[in-house]
Amino acid sequence: MNSDRKPVIVIKNLSKTFGDHKVLNQFTMELYEGETLVIMGKSGSGKSVMIKCLIGLETHDGGQITIMGKNLDTMDAATLNEIRTEVGFLFQGSALYDSMSVRENLEFPLRRHFKKFGEIGDATPLVMEALDSVGLGHTIDLMPEELSGGMKRRIAMARTLILKPKIILYDEPTTGLDPITSKEIVLLMKSIQQTYKTSSIVITHDVDCARFIADRMILLIDGINYAEGTYEELDRSQDPKIQAFFKK
Amino acid sequence: MEPFNVQRIKLGIFILTGTILFITGVYFIGKKQNMFGNTIELFAVFNNINGLKPGNNVRYSGINVGTVNEINMISDTVIVVTVTIEKEISRHIKKDSRCAITSDGLVGSMIINIIPGTEESQKINPGDTIFSLSRIRTDQMLQTLSVTNENAALLTAEMLKIAEGIGDGKGLIGAIIKDPAITEDVRAIITNLKNTTNSSNLAINQLNKILTSLDRNDNLIGSLRDTTLAVKVKNIINNVEISSVQISQILKQLETTISETRQTIANAREGKGAINYLSNDPMLVKKIDRTITHLDSTILEINQAGIQLNQNLDALKKTWLLRKQFKEEKK
Amino acid sequence: MNTFQNFITSIRAFLFETGELAFFAGRFFKEVFNRPFEWKEFARQCYHIGNKSLFLVAITGFIIGLVFTLQSRPKMIELGAVAWLPSMVSISIIREIGPIITALICAGRIGSGIGAELGSMRVTEQIDAMEVSGTNPFKFLVVTRILATTLMIPLLVIMSDAVALFGSFLVENIKGDVSFTLYFDEVFRAIKFSDVFPATLKTFFFGFAIGLVGCYKGYYCKHGTAGVGKTANAAVVEASMLVFILDFTAVLVTDIFTS
Repeated sequence: MNSDRKPVIVIKNLSKTFGDHKVLNQFTMELYEGETLVIMGKSGSGKSVMIKCLIGLETHDGGQITIMGKNLDTMDAATLNEIRTEVGFLFQGSALYDSMSVRENLEFPLRRHFKKFGEIGDATPLVMEALDSVGLGHTIDLMPEELSGGMKRRIAMARTLILKPKIILYDEPTTGLDPITSKEIVLLMKSIQQTYKTSSIVITHDVDCARFIADRMILLIDGINYAEGTYEELDRSQDPKIQAFFKK
Repeated sequence: MEPFNVQRIKLGIFILTGTILFITGVYFIGKKQNMFGNTIELFAVFNNINGLKPGNNVRYSGINVGTVNEINMISDTVIVVTVTIEKEISRHIKKDSRCAITSDGLVGSMIINIIPGTEESQKINPGDTIFSLSRIRTDQMLQTLSVTNENAALLTAEMLKIAEGIGDGKGLIGAIIKDPAITEDVRAIITNLKNTTNSSNLAINQLNKILTSLDRNDNLIGSLRDTTLAVKVKNIINNVEISSVQISQILKQLETTISETRQTIANAREGKGAINYLSNDPMLVKKIDRTITHLDSTILEINQAGIQLNQNLDALKKTWLLRKQFKEEKK
Repeated sequence: MNTFQNFITSIRAFLFETGELAFFAGRFFKEVFNRPFEWKEFARQCYHIGNKSLFLVAITGFIIGLVFTLQSRPKMIELGAVAWLPSMVSISIIREIGPIITALICAGRIGSGIGAELGSMRVTEQIDAMEVSGTNPFKFLVVTRILATTLMIPLLVIMSDAVALFGSFLVENIKGDVSFTLYFDEVFRAIKFSDVFPATLKTFFFGFAIGLVGCYKGYYCKHGTAGVGKTANAAVVEASMLVFILDFTAVLVTDIFTS
């Protein structure tokens, strides 16, 4: 479709095997600059594995991943760290550090990725800016255990945003949240995308979320890129495997 | 971030407490083993150490004063034990102290006991050797006793024989006791002895007289006075006296010279005299000052020499041989 | 036949685990010299491992000293060797009881704590999050914790020894009318450097073992939240076992060098 746009992530023939089970089998996709790509699939279909391969948290058995023109497999640790400042990752369960306050949680990525910002004396303005963008400025000195699930998710988003990444990977951003909170999170994602002009990959099995946010969708079935298109295109499809996702 | 600082302080206290506890413990253990502080090493020689081990205590008059350091077997009967003793206590230990190995209580470990020596003896020095008090063992004691007994039996037998002989008038003593002629002879001998004593008394009196006369000048010693030797001694002493007088004159002259020089310098400092310009030259003044100091010390030395000379003379005067000579000199 | 196969499987699992643990330890030694060192996290762990365990360790030490003296006293009186009680108790405490009891308590408290903490961090992807944040989670979490246990447990043992001796002194003082000076004079006379140094040295190994097993179990925790509980449990069991094995080895080695 938009072939004139620049792809920021290119995945070619990605394979990953756990024991005898082939989770990813020659999976291929591209992410273009500025778009929000939703990847849907059943539990255990390898979505999370695929997204973790993108950031070097999992290793893959075959294929090639290129992020912002750099080959992930051949790069050294320093380059990988540089890539990681450009690619934000929102974990499934928020993954806030339990033993640290909200402020420390947000400062944590700054400690190591400071190269991007130069030496930071006092990180408070940066922390406050990130917290304000998720609307939780007042929680700065609270501990994660004092926060609700939705707040944790927002703080986690703030922690991702503090590095001002160009790409954000969302791993099931609405799991474990009630529909109203889910809605809030999705709205927040949309606003972040508009404010920071980020490209995003969203992994979810929440159809409402997908409909609201997706510029483009990929269905990951049996380890391959089964179908690709806008929400409406896929919704109209007669394929029973695709229909299984959209039937209420 | 205040709680974090509090945490750090508490952690610091924790670490410090632990370290101090450890160091204190180590220090006290070391102190008990005499590892730190002033100690000296001594050697003790034994031929049996009764299971003594390094680390055992050493006692002196019942006080723990040190520990056993090392045990070395020198030969089949000589074992040298190196002991460390507190320096403080070691000055009370005399050179002729003795040591013995005893056990500390019924089931206790072995200890070395140092038994105090005599009062007159010198104090012990590092590296000295203390000899062991050889303990007489019971079997040895019994052996000696039995030998003594045998000897006593033999002696008694001999005595009995002699007594019997005397009773029978055999031998010298028997003859003395039994023979009347010998008794007469003995009497005569005693009378003679008395006479001899009397005459020897007279001889002694005469000798005394001779000796008293010796004290006077006109006899034997008088002649000694006229010998060349005496003359020579006299001359030497005269010379010494003359030279001492001369030295004291020289000294007086020197002192006047110095006081004059001092005056000159004082004048110079005040701006008088011809060497006034010299005061402008501090180096020169310093030099002169130094010269004077030298002179002063020289005088001091000469004075001391004079004093020594006088002392020598005194000593000579006191010598018994020349005492009389000097008495006469004074007259 | 089936039991035999099970046996073979468990042997294989044991060997695999041992190898993995050795590899993990090797990784620790490789990373511990890599800069930058996480001082702040290290201090925080020292505080949590040292200060927070002190009360428990001190109470245990005190009671051990108290009870040990109380139990030995009647027999020593019977033997007429009650004057030997301070030296006997102090040597047992310094050489063996202090280190082993403290190490076991720490294996329980610290080993399980580290196992559960790292396990839950692994399960909730906090360790992944750290990695993405550009921090080496091994350095940040594992190196600091192992170092902290290695250095803090010897200190805890020293304090526990001191408190245990004090407890023993209290019994002697109340029951036997032994003064403070006499008691500790006896104690320090009895203890030699050859008692203190091997005993202290082995506590470093105990600390290292506790930290290593706790971190290893936690770092490779699997199977979700249920796995965290299992991890904590396994960490305690394995750390205690390792402490005993190390203690046995230490005693053997000390024996070779002192006799």
